[in-house]
Amino acid sequence: MQAMRSMTMTSQEQKEVEPFDPQEVAEDLRARAGIYRLLSNAFGGEPGAGFLTGLRQPEALAGLSEMGISLDRDFTDPPLEQLEEVLAGEYTSLFASPGGCVPVESARLTGKLQQEPYYEVQADYRRLGFEVRQGRFATFDDHLGVELALVAELLEQAGAAAAAADERELRRLNKEVKRFWTLHLGRWVRGFGRLVERAAEHSFYREMARLLRGFAEDELTRRGIRVEDADGTVPETPKEETEGLTCGGVSKSYDRSNEVPVSLVAG
Amino acid sequence: MLKMNRRTFIKVSGGTAAAVATAPSLLKAMEVELGGKDFSPVTYGERQAIPITCHVCNIQDGAIAFVENGRIVKLEGNPEHVSTRGRLCAKGNAGMWYSYDPDRILYPLKRVGARGEGKWKRITWDEALTEVAQKLDAAIKEDPNSIMLKFGRQRSGGALDRFMHTLGSATIVNHTSVCESSKKIGMEPTWGPDIETPDFANAKYILNFGSNIMEAAYFHNPYSQRIVEGTAENKAKLVTFDVRLSNTAGRSDEWIPVFPGTDGAVALAIGHVILRDDLQDSDFINTWTNVKVEELKTHYQQFTPEWASKLSGVPVETIERIAREFATTKPATTYTYRGPAKHLYGSYNEKACMMLPIMTGNIEVRGGYCMPRGMGWPQPQPEPPKPAKPSYLAHPDEYPLAGHKVSHLTPFWIAEGKQKINVYFSYQDNAVYTNPGAQAVWGKLYRDEKLIPFYVSMSPFMGEETALADIILPDCPYLERWEPESMPNSLWPWLGIRQPVIKPLGEARENRVMLRDIIHKLDADGSRGMKQYWNFKDGEDHMRHHFDNVPGLKEVGGLDFLKKHGVWPIYGKLDPATGKIVDKTGREIKADYGLHKKEIPEADMAGATIEANGAIMKNGKAVGVQRNGKNYVGFPTGNRLINVRVDQWAEYGFNPMPTFKRIPWHETMKDDEMIMTTYKINVHKQSRTAAVKWLAEIMHSNPVWMNTLTGNKIGVKTGDLVRVESAVGHLVTKAYVFEGIHPKVVAIPTAFGHWEYGRLATLKLKEKGGAFGAQDDPDLKNVWWTDNGVHPNAIIPVVADPIGGSQGWYDTVVKVTKAGPNDKYGDVQGNWEKHLEAFKETLRYAYTGDLHRKMHPEMAAWGGPESVKHKPAGGH
Repeated sequence: MQAMRSMTMTSQEQKEVEPFDPQEVAEDLRARAGIYRLLSNAFGGEPGAGFLTGLRQPEALAGLSEMGISLDRDFTDPPLEQLEEVLAGEYTSLFASPGGCVPVESARLTGKLQQEPYYEVQADYRRLGFEVRQGRFATFDDHLGVELALVAELLEQAGAAAAAADERELRRLNKEVKRFWTLHLGRWVRGFGRLVERAAEHSFYREMARLLRGFAEDELTRRGIRVEDADGTVPETPKEETEGLTCGGVSKSYDRSNEVPVSLVAG
Repeated sequence: MLKMNRRTFIKVSGGTAAAVATAPSLLKAMEVELGGKDFSPVTYGERQAIPITCHVCNIQDGAIAFVENGRIVKLEGNPEHVSTRGRLCAKGNAGMWYSYDPDRILYPLKRVGARGEGKWKRITWDEALTEVAQKLDAAIKEDPNSIMLKFGRQRSGGALDRFMHTLGSATIVNHTSVCESSKKIGMEPTWGPDIETPDFANAKYILNFGSNIMEAAYFHNPYSQRIVEGTAENKAKLVTFDVRLSNTAGRSDEWIPVFPGTDGAVALAIGHVILRDDLQDSDFINTWTNVKVEELKTHYQQFTPEWASKLSGVPVETIERIAREFATTKPATTYTYRGPAKHLYGSYNEKACMMLPIMTGNIEVRGGYCMPRGMGWPQPQPEPPKPAKPSYLAHPDEYPLAGHKVSHLTPFWIAEGKQKINVYFSYQDNAVYTNPGAQAVWGKLYRDEKLIPFYVSMSPFMGEETALADIILPDCPYLERWEPESMPNSLWPWLGIRQPVIKPLGEARENRVMLRDIIHKLDADGSRGMKQYWNFKDGEDHMRHHFDNVPGLKEVGGLDFLKKHGVWPIYGKLDPATGKIVDKTGREIKADYGLHKKEIPEADMAGATIEANGAIMKNGKAVGVQRNGKNYVGFPTGNRLINVRVDQWAEYGFNPMPTFKRIPWHETMKDDEMIMTTYKINVHKQSRTAAVKWLAEIMHSNPVWMNTLTGNKIGVKTGDLVRVESAVGHLVTKAYVFEGIHPKVVAIPTAFGHWEYGRLATLKLKEKGGAFGAQDDPDLKNVWWTDNGVHPNAIIPVVADPIGGSQGWYDTVVKVTKAGPNDKYGDVQGNWEKHLEAFKETLRYAYTGDLHRKMHPEMAAWGGPESVKHKPAGGH
């Protein structure tokens, strides 16, 4: 994600901001942004050598372990090149080839690629001043890795706002994060995490899926968001495909009170 | 003083109702929109309309894709399209599912496990192209013909040939022998074109041999419209010969069940009656064919109704009656599709059928049997030269007349070592599913890395064949690519395009672009002379090379016109009252008839000579035929006549005159044996619709049809499991027992029983119960069915028509029994060794085989295979 511009906060929003310790909040927000980045990298594409090397450092493994994320020896033991190859294969099987569970919101919620969520998040990114940066492979705008990266960026900005004691900006950014969770991530990542946890053969994806699910629950609780996870439920059909039409192509919701009586025009 | 009150209103209104009813109302309900526009029912905003040519199947309907907020939300017919006139079938309506299928292949994939193990690694295009180019480079150095490309439903407009010719390989193999090749070969040497365009709308009598035209056959959308017009408005009679009560047979005035493969005998017997009773059009025969009436009468004496009745089961009186009706009702036409043609001697059957409109003079007349009207387009220049060396697989020696190839025998020839393959490409193909032998034959071929060392599949979807590839290059579904198009599916020729409605998803690339990229990788600096043939920026640029200089189209804007309208020419407007295309005066547009009777302009006759038979010769080629002092263009054959006698066939020991050969193994069938046939239904094509949700929900399984008599005989009722056993394998499926099928026939539709395709086609994830997506998968959550059917092709042996090369799909003898305790629904087993035996057996019928002469005692004077000077096969 690339930042393009920022927005300002209304006076009403300013009034609602509670007193806070700027440095503590900043640290917390940046830490959370780090988790988002970790997950964004894990699900955004095949993990590269640098990412894996970093994760296999003792302090990284210890931190994850303390959180309850235990990566097996299939992650810690093999030579780096071999691990990279195995995880590339597992990533493809899970997320980038037929029969897998493509980590894309449209596919998870509607059963089809590039549907309404795709265009909604695209509009959000634009509004928030971001655009999707294609990496080694082209990706969908509503891909899990991209959606997580957006929140990471917003939290990073929020951290900066907190550190600068810019309460209005902090408030605005937190609202954006909450909104994005309510409309997008909160609607599918818990169910998706459960699915990947079961489907993964390698401990890396199993544990990242656990982290995704657990972290999502924590974020939702912490932010007071009540949204049902729709992943795995009956697919949604966009409104315009379900809205019943009456004869002549008029929507059911169309106000007929001003119509000319049918008897005058129909033979 | 008038009494104006409710009582008088009622009395007057009631009393005058009858009188008023006699006069037409001056107002009628308004037609809102006939199509071409669409509005969001939520926002009322007009949706973006992009005209395209449909390519779910190969009818090539004119269509419009409606886009709202970037999404394709609807597909419907293009009202400006002269052929399909604003109508689109169920398959076409569901086309957007291809683009948005979550099982789409969106990135180049490289196999990382054993072939078929399902283990892949996503790789970049550059990595993929580099690997493919390296393999091609090595193959070119050894022998360019060791690069093979086999395609299925390709409409690339010449891009595949260009690619293979650029590489110097002639090993281009199509799928036509499992499609309709013997129909083509039955027709081409006779009158030129490979198909007919019947004028159903204006016919008075339609004789349909084995075509399910109202549901699935070529060209079901435009033709079913015209048949309905013909039968409903023009009071035409529709008679269908078929082994089963197809949806076409069910909508016919008469369904006449016929024993499989004997349509040709019935047609010959109908011809016999026509000629015997002097009901033929002698003037037409004597003027426009290469035989005379008396010769024909003598030849047809052998084909008596009694003879045909014994073979076909059609009563003598029915043959006599249909013959008289057909000959005396003018205008009349026949139509055929796979029913007569997909047999050991399908070419003979096809020719026997087409003789009926020929002998009754119904050729090229209004309401009759017309030649196809198509349009061409130029190829971008320069073009690569044709390969220097012929390819055995493309033109096998045993089948010199099979101009549309004999692709279904390819695995056996490769296994025999007839031709070495180093690199194998497939495009829009799925022979492991669609061909006879299926996984038992083609699956074995692809799994063998010695026979196919490197296999590249160009496909947007996984399939039974693609699953066995080494590299998969992600192709675009039809709503994301450019293609030139024309199809002779009405009496008005047209050019059309497919254009991208949305950008390719993921990293999919349209085929012509990926072929260009392969060549550019292979010849980066152009020093190998390959790059010059692939000098275009993108798909649209390539289309400009095709379309911007077509006379007539160029003047109205070339490709830009097609981008706006989807089709050219626009012959008129769609009339809301009739659904027909009308001109500016409101009259329905008229077709041109009598194409063979177009006169050659005097200026073009300069330097021409006239031969004794009337052929007008120019530069050593017949360009027309002189009749009654006039110079006509005639038919597009070598002598510009209809060749009832095909001399070329006689060169190879085949009967040059209309004839019929019974399938030998049908003669020796036991009482408990039957013929198994397959068929296609209206919501599925052969192999790539089972994962399309809307279509899969309508039909997803395929019980075997059998007659009530058969069911009673073997103790089976609808829903019971049965075992269907052929000489090469067996399957276990469910029975559907009813009256609508010949008692000696069982029928299984194809399109079902996939084991490697999208999740809705295989239902594998559903079966696994949570192991991998399973019940959490949003697609499968909505799937209420658990039965995805049983695919029959593994138990169908290869049969090749020795003339046309067609697969004998409807020649398989089977035994059907109630399933045993060890039989399980969905069991399918085919045996390679037994299929190999079937291959060897069918070669015996080729002109080089030992049974050829036995099957043709009437050709006793033929000098044998040694007497034939082999000629390269024709075809296109």
